[in-house]
Amino acid sequence: MGALFFGAADLSSPELIQCITQGCQDPVNNMIFWEIRAPRVFVGFLVGAGLAVAGATLQNITRNGLADPYLFGVVSGAGLGASIATLLFDSKLAEQIGLMQMFPNISFSLALPFAAFLGALFSVFLVQLLASKTLGSKTEHMLLAGIAVSFMLSALSHFLLFLGEPFAANKVIFWLMGSLARVETWYAWVMLPVVVVSVAILLLYGRHMDALLLGDENAKTLGVQVTRLRVLSLAICAALTACIVSYCGGIGFVGLMIPHIVRSWLGVTSRIVTIGCVLLGGCFMVWVDVLARVALPNQEIPIGIITSAIGSVFFLIVMSQRRS
Amino acid sequence: MSSPSSLIATNVNLKIGQQQILSDVCLNLGAGKVMGVLGPNGAGKTSLLKMLSGQLASHHSVSWNNKTLTDYDPMSLAKQIAVVNQLNESVFALDLYQIVRMGLLPHKSLLSRQTLEDDKSISDAISRVGLDNKIQQSFNSLSGGEQQRGLIARALVQKAALIILDEPVNHLDIYYQHQVLKLLRSLAHKLNITVVMSLHDLNLAANYCDHLCLLDAGTMVAQGPPEHVLTSQRLEQVFKIPCHIRHDDNNAAFRVDFYPPDEVEIDVVSSIANPRT
Repeated sequence: MGALFFGAADLSSPELIQCITQGCQDPVNNMIFWEIRAPRVFVGFLVGAGLAVAGATLQNITRNGLADPYLFGVVSGAGLGASIATLLFDSKLAEQIGLMQMFPNISFSLALPFAAFLGALFSVFLVQLLASKTLGSKTEHMLLAGIAVSFMLSALSHFLLFLGEPFAANKVIFWLMGSLARVETWYAWVMLPVVVVSVAILLLYGRHMDALLLGDENAKTLGVQVTRLRVLSLAICAALTACIVSYCGGIGFVGLMIPHIVRSWLGVTSRIVTIGCVLLGGCFMVWVDVLARVALPNQEIPIGIITSAIGSVFFLIVMSQRRS
Repeated sequence: MSSPSSLIATNVNLKIGQQQILSDVCLNLGAGKVMGVLGPNGAGKTSLLKMLSGQLASHHSVSWNNKTLTDYDPMSLAKQIAVVNQLNESVFALDLYQIVRMGLLPHKSLLSRQTLEDDKSISDAISRVGLDNKIQQSFNSLSGGEQQRGLIARALVQKAALIILDEPVNHLDIYYQHQVLKLLRSLAHKLNITVVMSLHDLNLAANYCDHLCLLDAGTMVAQGPPEHVLTSQRLEQVFKIPCHIRHDDNNAAFRVDFYPPDEVEIDVVSSIANPRT
């Protein structure tokens, strides 16, 4: 709520309170508040919550505190899917191959996250395949495969943007650093059901996820169908990451950092970590976005710069604490 | 007709690649018995335990409670059989209570909540293994013996009638070895739980198990009560080391003494140092 008070436009506190309780009197303020600021705060919360939950889930199923959607290649996969969709819809190619005739009712706003989801699923599949066929089935190998896939798919999507877009550099920066600057209200209506359904499924399977923390064999002997659970979890991570990345770009470190803080503050069992990640991840992203909006006068800092800066300092502090 | 709650294996075979790991292993174990699986390294002990617990597909050759393991779905199998594998460290700092609570999993649907009765069964299991004062302690910080007892408490919460343990006293000092085995024996005899475990120490096996099976290169060399299975001739044949078996006065306990190859080497060294003696 507090984050609603910050922004480029100078809205006084009484005006804002009036906007929330009775509606704004000034139509310009009304537009600024309800169409720019409130959706941005809400979407920021969903983005933070989603990325943190996806990170925590990947860490649980790989039993590795370093797993996150970025390192696992899910962000790059989603980025690639979204880049392909952007190019297809924006270019003359769509007309040439008759895409619009084939799917006359298709909406770009929905096709984008769907394409990102397919890209994310593709990267997850590729990581699993590489880890099991080339390196071995250990969870550390999944991370190595994830890093390789991440770089490979990023390179591919940047190359596609470079070829297909006259202003490719802007898009590449968007995928690299992420931004909430272009958020619109309807983004929230796509993200909200994905985040709510994902969190609900993870809460339902909380006991099963906990059993995985002591190893696959341990979980199997407790009756958990490990492969099915892992596929479900990866699909959830792909869906969460895809809907976030397709609208807001790649925002790093949230999925890595927030679960660590939640585990040290609240506990390590999956249900607690999931709820903690929703609350802390959401609030963290909202306030990082406030910082991005107000730190420099009349311009915005890409949000990924701030999350990466905070994330790197955070990990240096964690490392020094562990050493001491 | 087999008695209820009995573990029956009929011609268990396991082949991995070209290597035959287990060949026609048969056994029949009644409820409330403690069985030790013995044999040298690579004899197939762990593989046999995995077949008996359903972790490896047994193709209808293993049955529990007159029902082959393949006929159980994973959750109903977990209600019947608890497995305590060799220790795994938890990456994230789970405490003892959280580990023991995992035993509830097979009995809970996705939507069901933890009841007061569940809380009681968790605290009862922890008391039974004597870890009341460690309940909030991180599992990784517990000693090997305490971790092993914690996992046994989890098996009790799982309410399984058969507990299968892979080398439960490995890496434990002599005090914890006796403590863990005593606990398992008392659970078997008092709660009618069947216990199957692999062991390396023949003396511990002889003194704590009701039934032993001796494996060598994947085949069952002998099975039955300890005094029947552990004969010096058989042990020499399986372990390739000379041994001597001593019975106490009333024949209630006995000891296996091996003569390790080191002693022979020491003799050689001393004979070189003192060639005339």
